[in-house]
Amino acid sequence: MSPRPGFVLEVDRSTPQTLFWRGEGFGLERLPVGSRVIYGPEPLPALRDPDAAIRHALDHPLGDSAPLRSLLHAGMKLTIAFDDISLPLPPMKSPDVRQRVIEAVLHLAAEAGVDDVVLIAALALHRRMTDDELRHALGTRVFDAFAPHGLLLQHDAEDPANLVDLGQTDEGEDVELNKRAVESDLLVYVNINLVAMDGGHKSVATGLASYKSLKHHHNVRTMRASKSFMDRHHSQLHTSNWRMGKLIAQSGLKIFQIETTLNTDTFPPEMRFLQRREWEWTARDRASFLATSKALERTPPELARRIFHSVRAPHDLTSVQAGEVDAVHDRTLENVFRQQIVPVEGQTDILTMGLPYICPYNVNSIMNPILVACLGLGYFFNLYRGRPLVREGGVVIMSHPTPWAFNPVHHPSYIDFFEQVLAETTDLLEIESKYETAFATDPWYVHLYRTSYAYHGVHPFYMWYWCAHALEHVGKVIVVGGDRAAVRRLGFSPASTLADALEMASDVVGRDPSITHLHTPPLLLADVQ
Amino acid sequence: MSAAALPPRPRPDGSVRPGPFLLRKPTRPLGAEPLPVERGLGTSYDTAWARRYPVRLARAMLLDDVARPLLRASCAPTVFGLDHLEPLELPVILAANHSSHLDTALLLSCLPTRIRHHAVVAAAADYFFDRRLKATAWAFALGAIPMERTRVNRRSADLAAGLIEEGWSLVIFPEGGRTPDGWGQEFKGGAAYLAKRCLVPVVPVHIRGTRAILAKGSSTLRPGPTEVRFGDPLWPEADEDARRFAARIERAVALLADEAETDWWSARRRAASGSTPPFRGPEASPWRRSWSLPTSADPTPRRQRRAATEPDESPAPRRWRAKRSPASWPERQGD
Amino acid sequence: MKALVFERSLPRFAAARLASAVAGSGHGVGVGPLELLEVDPPRLPGPSWVRLEPRLAGICGSDLATLDGRSSRYFEHVVSFPFVPGHEIVGDVTGGALDGRRAVLEPVLGCEARGIEPPCAACAGGHKGACERIAFGALAPGLQTGYCSDTGGGWSASLVAHESQLHEVPAALSDEAAVMVEPAACAVHAACSTAPPSGASVVVLGAGTLGLCTVAALRHFCLPGTLVAAAKHPAQRQLAAELGADQVVEPAEVMRAARRLSGTLALVTDAGRIERLAGGVDVVYDCVGSPESLEQSLAIARPGGDIVLVGMPGMTRVDLAPLWQREVRLRGAYAYGAETRPEGTRSSFDLAFELVAAARLERLVSAAYPLERYEEAVAHAAAAGRRGSVKIVFDLRRKSRGRTPSEEAE
Repeated sequence: MSPRPGFVLEVDRSTPQTLFWRGEGFGLERLPVGSRVIYGPEPLPALRDPDAAIRHALDHPLGDSAPLRSLLHAGMKLTIAFDDISLPLPPMKSPDVRQRVIEAVLHLAAEAGVDDVVLIAALALHRRMTDDELRHALGTRVFDAFAPHGLLLQHDAEDPANLVDLGQTDEGEDVELNKRAVESDLLVYVNINLVAMDGGHKSVATGLASYKSLKHHHNVRTMRASKSFMDRHHSQLHTSNWRMGKLIAQSGLKIFQIETTLNTDTFPPEMRFLQRREWEWTARDRASFLATSKALERTPPELARRIFHSVRAPHDLTSVQAGEVDAVHDRTLENVFRQQIVPVEGQTDILTMGLPYICPYNVNSIMNPILVACLGLGYFFNLYRGRPLVREGGVVIMSHPTPWAFNPVHHPSYIDFFEQVLAETTDLLEIESKYETAFATDPWYVHLYRTSYAYHGVHPFYMWYWCAHALEHVGKVIVVGGDRAAVRRLGFSPASTLADALEMASDVVGRDPSITHLHTPPLLLADVQ
Repeated sequence: MSAAALPPRPRPDGSVRPGPFLLRKPTRPLGAEPLPVERGLGTSYDTAWARRYPVRLARAMLLDDVARPLLRASCAPTVFGLDHLEPLELPVILAANHSSHLDTALLLSCLPTRIRHHAVVAAAADYFFDRRLKATAWAFALGAIPMERTRVNRRSADLAAGLIEEGWSLVIFPEGGRTPDGWGQEFKGGAAYLAKRCLVPVVPVHIRGTRAILAKGSSTLRPGPTEVRFGDPLWPEADEDARRFAARIERAVALLADEAETDWWSARRRAASGSTPPFRGPEASPWRRSWSLPTSADPTPRRQRRAATEPDESPAPRRWRAKRSPASWPERQGD
Repeated sequence: MKALVFERSLPRFAAARLASAVAGSGHGVGVGPLELLEVDPPRLPGPSWVRLEPRLAGICGSDLATLDGRSSRYFEHVVSFPFVPGHEIVGDVTGGALDGRRAVLEPVLGCEARGIEPPCAACAGGHKGACERIAFGALAPGLQTGYCSDTGGGWSASLVAHESQLHEVPAALSDEAAVMVEPAACAVHAACSTAPPSGASVVVLGAGTLGLCTVAALRHFCLPGTLVAAAKHPAQRQLAAELGADQVVEPAEVMRAARRLSGTLALVTDAGRIERLAGGVDVVYDCVGSPESLEQSLAIARPGGDIVLVGMPGMTRVDLAPLWQREVRLRGAYAYGAETRPEGTRSSFDLAFELVAAARLERLVSAAYPLERYEEAVAHAAAAGRRGSVKIVFDLRRKSRGRTPSEEAE
């Protein structure tokens, strides 16, 4: 049976309750009659022989590019950069896509006799990956061949000896990149395009850049002008990255881009009910749901977190293309849209969403309140093309326990941001002008970013800027089931139940608002007319 | 004032006082000459006590009843080629490749009883015999004798030769140390020299899989399967010098390694045509040497991996499904 | 007259200690040595002594420690039994120069009060708190009124005071403001005697009465760069911010706040928790006096910095290696004396009057109890922070006795 496309359900009296994610747990909520629920398309079938597809892509590149085989020769300097731990979500089960692609590339490199090969995790200002995480992403074979010899690097954006300034774009944006990547004869980038925001020129221009470069597009003004950042033709974030990409190409750096897309088969078989439409749950699904949600209620949060973060998604390759960046990315986006697009008519007064336990920045970690805001108002709010799902001045209701808890190893600067900066103000421009530089240059955060597994000092600011478009657009934000003090600190309103939240929303949108629920994960992209 | 009128000396409160002269080591007066110190470590460590009957008995119990079950559980060894050992008259020299500290114990536990209980192991003098406690422990547990590995040393060579002539079999690792990257190192001439001097055969041994369990420089033990292969015994030829004999032994071990990868017949055919994969690995950059290791973690089908074009009909080796926490060990979807 | 008397009774002392350990601080009063008795007012020990009838008498942290049986054995020789506790007193004077007027008592019994001529060097210099004769002279041993069997104390209807101990209360100052003068004077002395250099980073740990008064004194008399106050309870945090703290944090956030303040690197555990700062803040005022607060002070004071112990500590086990390695100065600040100010030498009490008026410290008086309800009063004082209060006082004004000064002024 071919996978069904996504669709918008109109809730009526026969509709069963809807699944709402609540961090490390989920529940059922009854949405009022007349609400809409947006369901994503069913997962497309994965490629039957992914390795063959990869080999084919490497031999038949798109755009103005020669096959990879002919670009490799003995004595050259080859660098392979790959997406870091923030993709895919949830982490894939073995073998990871990066493992497959990099092994295929190294196969050709070994055949051609290339000796000088370096692998770089393109993590920009994210945290370094642990050995286990690298082993999972690259596979034991690649890890054991490169890591012991010091040839598996993690991009260090605060190492002046390893950064090269390539100049400025027409708009005065600095481009400063990883030195090893720039000085290679060939840079191969291995990307996973989970959502339409990823990939293209953004891979190298952001992934291998430094703070000096990033602040030109990771700022409030740019994020407010990105409507949305899932739609690169209407996104200032992407326009800026594309300009940088052009400069990079002009500087002579040869990039062989390999992009892959995944289907939305997000959950393993025992959690299949999370993926299915509620009225299609079999008896087994219903029993699973009951057992799991009851068990999770009694599980201490730390254990629940560990259980969830050990979930490995069965999503797999639906397409792979390689060659010149622009041509490759266009084809990639076609494939992303093929899997994720859901046409939606009209905007809504209230947008509800259940936030899961994971976002790109808390893999194997705690989702702190700032990341909750980023996931809800940054990512989920912006899962649209055309117009935002919720009308201007509408209300966003998110459900997540929002614990006042931080992982001090991964997110040290987030704790200070929450305790000091947000305690004073939640206004984006004030935060940007008053505090960003101090956090970005604080030697303690730089030390932790470079030597420990911490996100860069400026990263919580970027999380807050990610919400810029939503905060400007929306009238009120309500968090259901969240820690009251934490929610208030974020500047949102806490509510105990969805009913209370809808009641609180009526102050803003009136007594009879239209409600739309975003049933994600699995991922989708709403095409709002 | 007489001494009796003096008040008694105040004793330190609550401190532990050292015992009187006979209960503890005496202190040497400054005017006296010190006795010369004999270190008795390294190659001069005397291991004769470890070959006395009671000690051998204890060692046999340790090896058979403690080490063997543990090794079986963690290394799951499969032994090939025991029939090569049966007709041989003791003593023999067993020359094996070396990739892990587990090799010695594993090899000993796979030997037939008559060899196992009457064998000594040549161990690096600078590594295993540098401290008294270590030396005692290894001499007891494995029957180790010190062997100098960087230069030729008369004492260790004479000791080994003497023991062989007394009837002790010798387990030796001609590489001189564990492999740093998975490929073999050049075989030194020690085993060959001893074989020529004492006129005993050298049995080549190949141990596969211990590096994955406990590699050099690693402190974590990951249980997995191992294979121990005994090859055709080699007799020293009259006109062959030690170096050439050592090279012959190395080729024999390389043949066994090839046999482990493919099968007995293919290995022999390749040996005949001179196309056995090199024991010491390809001449290439470190990553390519690691890349071309024939490890069991290689997901690429063997067809693609081997350079040879002969179709290989032997079944894929049994893969070990170890129990690990999901976060650190990837779940295989199937071969 | 009615008075709360603290008898010497070892079994009751032990009972109080046990009770406070089990049921919590302040709950040992019922079984402890403190009793409400009908006693004769104390006799005047000599000329220059006058009678003082308390209007308000405060309950101090050191009083609570004594009632819990937790006070240090150090004080054994400078206390005489039986005594009436209470040393934060505003009352009406009978006799002497201030006859008929209100006065605040400076409780320290120095050479002058003890009739010792010539006075010791400290008393001569105005630093009565450092008096070397507190166990000697014409009076029974007692470092302050409220620990001496001859003088009586604030928790009674009448006590005696030497004229040198009295400070007149201006008519415009309410009783509540006046009773805060003594704790304010302690804070003033702590702030002025160990004044942070101008622009220094200062952290005040603890926001009980003493902590809040210290924040106010630092803001009023010194020029700190940034003043961070650590307060456990929301009411305390609110007051600390009002009294002049630049930043108010919870105790769990102190390490991070100090790190941000000093912009230094830190030494962390594997789990990411900050153990100590590599650098640190310039001055730490420890107004808590517990082993944990002292440890925290040592963790955040910079090498060469100062830690001032303002609150009364007890027996504490603390690792002094950081003190030694970082050459940190650990100083005590006790009671009051004479402070060197740019305008000249002034007594702590004078400055305290100024501070009380300027910072409106009367709002720190949260509740007043009659003597009869002393058990409730002590329990409230012990749990003051948690209950949103700061200073608890005994109200000894009799309705029949007279009108309040503000009424008299009309």
